[in-house]
Amino acid sequence: MLALSRKQNESIMIGNDIEITILEIKGDQVKIGINAPKSVSIYRKEIYLQIKESNKEAAEASVSDEVLKKLFK
Amino acid sequence: MLARTKHFGEINLDESKIITFDNGILGFEEYKKYTILYDNEDGSRPDISWLQSLDEPALAIPVISPLLVKEDYNPAIEDELLKPLGILNEDNIVVMVSITVPPMFENMTANLRAPFIINSDSRKGVQVIIENSEYEIKYRFYEKLKALKAAKGDK
Repeated sequence: MLALSRKQNESIMIGNDIEITILEIKGDQVKIGINAPKSVSIYRKEIYLQIKESNKEAAEASVSDEVLKKLFK
Repeated sequence: MLARTKHFGEINLDESKIITFDNGILGFEEYKKYTILYDNEDGSRPDISWLQSLDEPALAIPVISPLLVKEDYNPAIEDELLKPLGILNEDNIVVMVSITVPPMFENMTANLRAPFIINSDSRKGVQVIIENSEYEIKYRFYEKLKALKAAKGDK
Protein backbone atom coordinates (compact mmCIF):
# COMPACT_ATOMS: atom_id res chain seq x y z
CA MET A 1 0.00 0.00 0.00
CA LEU A 2 1.25 3.45 -0.84
CA ALA A 3 1.53 5.60 2.29
CA LEU A 4 1.77 9.39 2.01
CA SER A 5 2.06 11.86 4.89
CA ARG A 6 -0.24 14.87 4.63
CA LYS A 7 -1.03 17.86 6.82
CA GLN A 8 -4.35 19.55 7.34
CA ASN A 9 -5.67 21.12 4.11
CA GLU A 10 -3.22 19.20 1.97
CA SER A 11 -4.53 16.94 -0.77
CA ILE A 12 -3.81 13.88 -2.81
CA MET A 13 -4.83 13.40 -6.43
CA ILE A 14 -5.81 9.97 -7.67
CA GLY A 15 -5.69 10.11 -11.43
CA ASN A 16 -6.92 13.37 -12.90
CA ASP A 17 -10.30 13.69 -11.32
CA ILE A 18 -10.27 12.33 -7.77
CA GLU A 19 -9.01 14.67 -5.07
CA ILE A 20 -8.79 13.71 -1.42
CA THR A 21 -8.22 16.50 1.11
CA ILE A 22 -7.45 16.25 4.81
CA LEU A 23 -9.94 18.76 6.20
CA GLU A 24 -9.46 18.38 9.91
CA ILE A 25 -7.44 16.34 12.37
CA LYS A 26 -8.90 16.06 15.84
CA GLY A 27 -7.62 13.52 18.36
CA ASP A 28 -8.01 10.09 16.77
CA GLN A 29 -10.34 11.28 14.00
CA VAL A 30 -9.56 12.65 10.59
CA LYS A 31 -12.11 14.45 8.46
CA ILE A 32 -11.55 13.80 4.78
CA GLY A 33 -13.01 15.67 1.83
CA ILE A 34 -13.42 13.82 -1.44
CA ASN A 35 -13.93 15.37 -4.84
CA ALA A 36 -14.74 12.73 -7.41
CA PRO A 37 -16.89 12.28 -10.51
CA LYS A 38 -20.47 11.32 -9.71
CA SER A 39 -19.94 7.98 -11.33
CA VAL A 40 -17.56 6.99 -8.55
CA SER A 41 -19.32 5.48 -5.57
CA ILE A 42 -17.86 6.37 -2.19
CA TYR A 43 -18.67 4.37 0.91
CA ARG A 44 -17.38 3.97 4.42
CA LYS A 45 -15.68 0.61 4.11
CA GLU A 46 -17.30 -1.12 7.08
CA ILE A 47 -20.76 -0.14 5.83
CA TYR A 48 -19.88 -1.15 2.28
CA LEU A 49 -18.82 -4.61 3.49
CA GLN A 50 -21.93 -5.02 5.62
CA ILE A 51 -24.26 -4.17 2.74
CA LYS A 52 -22.42 -6.56 0.46
CA GLU A 53 -22.77 -9.26 3.06
CA SER A 54 -26.45 -8.43 3.56
CA ASN A 55 -27.17 -8.72 -0.19
CA LYS A 56 -25.45 -12.10 -0.25
CA GLU A 57 -27.33 -13.36 2.78
CA ALA A 58 -30.65 -12.22 1.35
CA ALA A 59 -29.90 -13.97 -1.95
CA GLU A 60 -28.61 -17.17 -0.38
CA ALA A 61 -31.41 -17.86 2.08
CA SER A 62 -33.05 -20.98 0.71
CA VAL A 63 -36.62 -19.99 1.54
CA SER A 64 -39.11 -20.61 -1.26
CA ASP A 65 -41.57 -18.16 -2.75
CA GLU A 66 -44.45 -20.22 -1.44
CA VAL A 67 -43.22 -20.08 2.15
CA LEU A 68 -42.49 -16.38 1.92
CA LYS A 69 -45.87 -15.59 0.46
CA LYS A 70 -47.53 -17.41 3.30
CA LEU A 71 -45.39 -15.57 5.82
CA PHE A 72 -46.52 -12.25 4.44
CA LYS A 73 -50.12 -13.13 3.88
CA MET B 1 -37.46 -13.11 -24.17
CA LEU B 2 -37.12 -16.36 -22.27
CA ALA B 3 -35.64 -15.93 -18.83
CA ARG B 4 -34.54 -18.56 -16.38
CA THR B 5 -35.45 -17.73 -12.82
CA LYS B 6 -34.67 -19.11 -9.39
CA HIS B 7 -38.21 -19.57 -8.17
CA PHE B 8 -40.47 -19.57 -11.20
CA GLY B 9 -38.59 -21.73 -13.66
CA GLU B 10 -38.33 -20.52 -17.22
CA ILE B 11 -40.64 -17.63 -17.95
CA ASN B 12 -41.49 -15.48 -20.92
CA LEU B 13 -40.47 -11.98 -19.98
CA ASP B 14 -41.53 -8.87 -21.80
CA GLU B 15 -38.48 -6.77 -22.68
CA SER B 16 -40.17 -3.77 -21.08
CA LYS B 17 -39.84 -5.48 -17.69
CA ILE B 18 -36.06 -5.45 -17.75
CA ILE B 19 -34.48 -3.13 -15.20
CA THR B 20 -30.86 -2.10 -15.65
CA PHE B 21 -28.65 -1.50 -12.63
CA ASP B 22 -25.69 0.15 -14.35
CA ASN B 23 -23.51 -0.24 -11.25
CA GLY B 24 -24.90 -3.66 -10.38
CA ILE B 25 -25.72 -4.23 -6.74
CA LEU B 26 -23.17 -4.56 -3.98
CA GLY B 27 -21.60 -7.99 -3.92
CA PHE B 28 -22.93 -8.79 -7.39
CA GLU B 29 -21.38 -5.99 -9.41
CA GLU B 30 -21.05 -8.09 -12.55
CA TYR B 31 -24.81 -8.52 -12.98
CA LYS B 32 -26.66 -5.53 -14.38
CA LYS B 33 -30.01 -6.78 -15.70
CA TYR B 34 -32.84 -7.57 -13.33
CA THR B 35 -36.57 -7.85 -13.20
CA ILE B 36 -39.12 -7.82 -10.41
CA LEU B 37 -41.09 -11.05 -10.15
CA TYR B 38 -43.99 -12.08 -7.99
CA ASP B 39 -46.65 -14.71 -7.98
CA ASN B 40 -50.06 -13.15 -8.54
CA GLU B 41 -51.91 -16.34 -9.20
CA ASP B 42 -54.68 -15.37 -6.83
CA GLY B 43 -55.13 -12.07 -8.66
CA SER B 44 -53.62 -9.72 -6.12
CA ARG B 45 -50.06 -8.54 -5.86
CA PRO B 46 -48.37 -10.14 -2.87
CA ASP B 47 -46.28 -8.08 -0.46
CA ILE B 48 -43.26 -10.13 -1.36
CA SER B 49 -41.44 -9.88 -4.71
CA TRP B 50 -38.11 -11.04 -6.04
CA LEU B 51 -35.38 -8.97 -7.58
CA GLN B 52 -34.35 -11.58 -10.12
CA SER B 53 -31.07 -11.31 -12.01
CA LEU B 54 -31.43 -11.94 -15.73
CA ASP B 55 -27.70 -12.60 -16.04
CA GLU B 56 -27.58 -15.24 -13.31
CA PRO B 57 -30.73 -17.33 -12.82
CA ALA B 58 -29.61 -18.45 -9.34
CA LEU B 59 -29.54 -14.86 -8.10
CA ALA B 60 -32.88 -13.71 -6.73
CA ILE B 61 -33.27 -11.44 -3.72
CA PRO B 62 -36.57 -11.24 -1.87
CA VAL B 63 -37.74 -7.63 -1.61
CA ILE B 64 -40.58 -5.76 0.03
CA SER B 65 -41.74 -2.19 0.28
CA PRO B 66 -39.99 -0.63 3.27
CA LEU B 67 -43.25 1.08 4.20
CA LEU B 68 -44.65 -2.30 5.10
CA VAL B 69 -42.28 -2.66 8.03
CA LYS B 70 -41.59 1.01 8.76
CA GLU B 71 -44.48 3.32 7.95
CA ASP B 72 -42.46 6.52 8.25
CA TYR B 73 -39.61 5.30 6.04
CA ASN B 74 -38.40 8.42 4.31
CA PRO B 75 -34.63 8.54 4.13
CA ALA B 76 -32.76 11.49 2.67
CA ILE B 77 -30.93 10.42 -0.46
CA GLU B 78 -28.45 12.60 -2.33
CA ASP B 79 -29.97 13.74 -5.63
CA GLU B 80 -26.68 12.98 -7.34
CA LEU B 81 -27.04 9.29 -6.54
CA LEU B 82 -30.43 9.17 -8.25
CA LYS B 83 -29.52 11.26 -11.29
CA PRO B 84 -28.60 8.22 -13.41
CA LEU B 85 -32.22 7.03 -13.09
CA GLY B 86 -33.65 10.00 -14.98
CA ILE B 87 -36.50 12.16 -13.72
CA LEU B 88 -38.21 10.58 -10.73
CA ASN B 89 -41.69 11.42 -9.57
CA GLU B 90 -44.32 9.94 -7.28
CA ASP B 91 -45.70 7.78 -10.05
CA ASN B 92 -42.54 6.21 -11.40
CA ILE B 93 -40.43 5.74 -8.27
CA VAL B 94 -40.28 2.24 -6.85
CA VAL B 95 -38.51 1.67 -3.55
CA MET B 96 -37.76 -1.83 -2.33
CA VAL B 97 -35.59 -3.26 0.42
CA SER B 98 -34.10 -6.72 0.59
CA ILE B 99 -35.11 -9.11 3.30
CA THR B 100 -33.06 -11.94 4.75
CA VAL B 101 -35.08 -14.90 5.90
CA PRO B 102 -33.14 -17.46 7.95
CA PRO B 103 -34.60 -20.83 8.92
CA MET B 104 -35.71 -19.25 12.19
CA PHE B 105 -38.28 -16.85 10.78
CA GLU B 106 -38.35 -14.70 13.90
CA ASN B 107 -34.80 -13.63 13.06
CA MET B 108 -35.69 -12.22 9.68
CA THR B 109 -34.42 -8.77 8.85
CA ALA B 110 -34.91 -6.04 6.28
CA ASN B 111 -32.04 -3.92 5.01
CA LEU B 112 -33.39 -0.39 5.46
CA ARG B 113 -29.94 1.10 5.00
CA ALA B 114 -29.50 0.16 1.35
CA PRO B 115 -32.78 0.40 -0.58
CA PHE B 116 -33.17 -0.40 -4.26
CA ILE B 117 -34.55 2.64 -6.07
CA ILE B 118 -36.06 2.04 -9.49
CA ASN B 119 -37.48 4.40 -12.07
CA SER B 120 -40.28 2.44 -13.71
CA ASP B 121 -40.26 4.78 -16.74
CA SER B 122 -36.55 4.66 -17.57
CA ARG B 123 -36.35 1.14 -16.09
CA LYS B 124 -33.09 1.94 -14.40
CA GLY B 125 -32.25 1.07 -10.84
CA VAL B 126 -29.62 1.71 -8.20
CA GLN B 127 -28.90 0.41 -4.76
CA VAL B 128 -28.00 3.36 -2.57
CA ILE B 129 -26.53 3.46 0.90
CA ILE B 130 -28.27 5.88 3.20
CA GLU B 131 -26.12 8.16 5.35
CA ASN B 132 -28.53 8.13 8.28
CA SER B 133 -27.38 5.22 10.44
CA GLU B 134 -30.75 5.10 12.21
CA TYR B 135 -31.86 2.99 9.28
CA GLU B 136 -30.53 -0.44 10.14
CA ILE B 137 -28.91 -2.95 7.82
CA LYS B 138 -30.48 -5.72 9.84
CA TYR B 139 -33.83 -4.33 10.89
CA ARG B 140 -35.76 -7.05 12.69
CA PHE B 141 -39.42 -6.95 11.78
CA TYR B 142 -40.94 -10.30 12.64
CA GLU B 143 -43.07 -8.83 15.44
CA LYS B 144 -44.20 -6.08 13.10
CA LEU B 145 -45.17 -8.65 10.49
CA LYS B 146 -47.16 -10.61 13.05
CA ALA B 147 -49.01 -7.46 14.05
CA LEU B 148 -49.73 -6.72 10.36
CA LYS B 149 -51.08 -10.20 9.83
CA ALA B 150 -53.23 -9.93 12.92
CA ALA B 151 -54.63 -6.63 11.64
CA LYS B 152 -55.42 -8.20 8.26
CA GLY B 153 -57.16 -11.05 10.02
CA ASP B 154 -59.42 -8.60 11.87
CA LYS B 155 -60.78 -7.10 8.68
